Amino acid sequence: MSDAAPADAPATPLPLSGVRVIDVGNFLAGPYAASMLGEFGAEVLKVEHPIAGDPMRRFGTATSQPDATLKWLSEARNKKSVTIDLRQPEGVQLFLKLVAKSDVLIENFRPGTMEEWGLGWKELSAANPGLVMLRVSGYGQTGPYRRRSGFAHIAQAFGGLNYLAGFPGETPVLPGTVPLGDYIASLYGAIGIMIALRHKDATGRGQIIDVGIYEAVFRVLEEIAAAYGVDGRIREREGSGSFVACPHGHFKTKDDKWIAIACTTDKMFERLAVAMGQPHLASSGLYGDQRKRLAAREQVNQIVVEWVGSLVRDEVLEKCLDEEVPVGNVNSIADIFADEHFIARGNLAHVQVDGIGDVVVPGVIPSLSATPGRITNLGPTLGNATTEVMRELLGMADSEIQRLRQHKII
Amino acid sequence: MDTTTAPTATDTSKLPLAGIRVVDIATVIAAPYCATVLGEFGADVLKVEHPVGGDALRRFGTPSKRGDTLTWMSESRNKRSVTLDLRLPEGVELFKQLIAKTDVLCENFRTGTLEKWGLGWDVLHEINPRLIMLRVTGYGQTGPYKDRPGFARVAHAVGGIAYLAGMPRGTPVTPGSTTLGDYMTGLYGCLGVLMALRHRDATGEGQYVDAALYESVFRATEELAPAFAMYGIVRERLGSSHNDFACPHGHFATKDGKWVAISCATDKLFMRLATAMGRPELASSSTYGVQATRLQHRHDVNEIVRDWCGSLTREEVLERCYATDTPAGPLNNIADIFGDRQFHARRNLVAVDEPETGESIIVPSPVPLLSETPGSIRSLGPRLGQHTDEVLREVLGLSADEIAKLRAKRVV
Repeated sequence: MSDAAPADAPATPLPLSGVRVIDVGNFLAGPYAASMLGEFGAEVLKVEHPIAGDPMRRFGTATSQPDATLKWLSEARNKKSVTIDLRQPEGVQLFLKLVAKSDVLIENFRPGTMEEWGLGWKELSAANPGLVMLRVSGYGQTGPYRRRSGFAHIAQAFGGLNYLAGFPGETPVLPGTVPLGDYIASLYGAIGIMIALRHKDATGRGQIIDVGIYEAVFRVLEEIAAAYGVDGRIREREGSGSFVACPHGHFKTKDDKWIAIACTTDKMFERLAVAMGQPHLASSGLYGDQRKRLAAREQVNQIVVEWVGSLVRDEVLEKCLDEEVPVGNVNSIADIFADEHFIARGNLAHVQVDGIGDVVVPGVIPSLSATPGRITNLGPTLGNATTEVMRELLGMADSEIQRLRQHKII
Repeated sequence: MDTTTAPTATDTSKLPLAGIRVVDIATVIAAPYCATVLGEFGADVLKVEHPVGGDALRRFGTPSKRGDTLTWMSESRNKRSVTLDLRLPEGVELFKQLIAKTDVLCENFRTGTLEKWGLGWDVLHEINPRLIMLRVTGYGQTGPYKDRPGFARVAHAVGGIAYLAGMPRGTPVTPGSTTLGDYMTGLYGCLGVLMALRHRDATGEGQYVDAALYESVFRATEELAPAFAMYGIVRERLGSSHNDFACPHGHFATKDGKWVAISCATDKLFMRLATAMGRPELASSSTYGVQATRLQHRHDVNEIVRDWCGSLTREEVLERCYATDTPAGPLNNIADIFGDRQFHARRNLVAVDEPETGESIIVPSPVPLLSETPGSIRSLGPRLGQHTDEVLREVLGLSADEIAKLRAKRVV
């Protein structure tokens, strides 16, 4: 596996160099936080079961290599794999030694699982009082549902997001990508870790960050809770439109493609009316006022539907952009690969993987001017750093490593 | 309703971001939400707004009794409002003085706007080399589309997530919430700011963080990019019960007109579902026990689950699924959420009284939950200019006379 950075890339510093993260989670919720920290310089040790490893290795689209789906390769970027069996007492002891030499621990087992293995907060903080621990689960570490199994799909539904996607009165659909909640929960987790690291640097004290996937999703639903609290209004599915602005949605073009138009304000609608060659629509007697447009939503949308349907997507886009109407293609992944902006921003990163070749993955975000993140490698093979970590970090003799291997502890 | 009342303590000195000053000159949700999160954990957030009208978020959505919208009240929590007209030279001068005493600046103007006012990165960095600046736009600060207007709706479309939401071949729908991309970008921005703060504390060097709305949603499209690059796979809209790798996996209607989500990512989980349905034979190797077989007979498997769910109420379906540990849950609407024990136990809903009108507004509490240094809501969104005088006096050392003159000239 080779370095993804171009050969002439300047050697900028990384803000998290010197931070060691243990990621003992599976799939994405939590482990994605580790991926982000790794992009910005943290050393991430992915601790996996010696035989099976993280099931994400086998979930998704397969490659020519066993235990390396595209999902694994992309999302386990920059990690090193270390195998330890936490179900064996010797594995637990080994793990505690590793924790003592780390700054951050990330896990997403069902609440209570680590405690059953003798790896609860009591044991972990005894091994390392400054430890910052991120715990991600479907429902969080507390409350009546904490023990329920919670995948992103279930947690997103429970958190109120899935109810809102789809047409009014029809089947609720998946809101775009299946593990959206995993990504959002991980973002909150990574922020929690950064805040906790700051507190630890100031006081020496570690702490636990507890994230329920459902509450991470619920937190991003703007005024829905407040509006229900005030007058009992239940937000329903809004189809391809919006309840607060019109026209604001997805429209089909003559060449059977889709385009998004968002007229959040009267000024934006005025621009759209000009782009459509019908500036009179934005007069005060007609649809110049947002409230009037919302009241006559169907008529206004119909006008836009007809106009957009009479032109190919490139024509609609050009006319809207000329007037500075907020507009954009509803891109498929094929559209994205052909888009000059994605390419210019480095959003599609090419990384060489041994035995597989070129793999294209989403680049690092956000962009930091002085300390940009980087991709050094994609998802590692199972146990690729076990020997290195046992020998160099834990100071273990080769014979001891051999013995642990024979007993399948590592 | 047994919502909790927010802690009213104003002592922020024990919070982990105490001593960090954030200036938020951004509007609506994306960059301001970064400041919101920093404020929950103790940063002093100064919301700098235009003296007339202020942030458009004050008018976007449902109004509260005080007039400002509910989203403003909720998402401008803990902030102090300071008015300043950056289109006037005197406003620019005051702003520069403020920046000299600031750690983090959040902005989301169209590219080039701050530069036009003489407040570009070079200028601000020279005034305060330790400054960290978050810049959020639809398309980022670079690239061919950088000057295009960008809202989250457009970003969802461009970033590839709107294309995936909806029934196969049907109209692409909003992926749940029109501001999803705003929040996600606020989160990426916040993470960038916290990493930049760490680097600054170590080296003294500030920097800017460049976040684009479309990039935040594109980053969450899991293996879409590598699968297209390697095999030319173009993922289409998933509908309600389609997943390329797992079946059954989706939304199913119950007898009482409600919906449940069921997801069987593995054979073991399908076996549990079959048991919950009272038909363990469905999970045998000769029927649907193997994922590949289920995916092949997706239509039949979904039909069986649909029929079963349709014959029971939501509570009955969930009870049976929970009893066998099948991953299942309700598709909660906001009324369901207000009635749910888990939300109450985790205190996800907090009622905060607005002091002027006495209106009690229920808002989501801070996420994530930190055990030693939890975030807090100390106040809801401020009135426009509520803290102008105190900030000009305390932070910039202006006298009452000077403030009165600025006000007369409509600089503040």
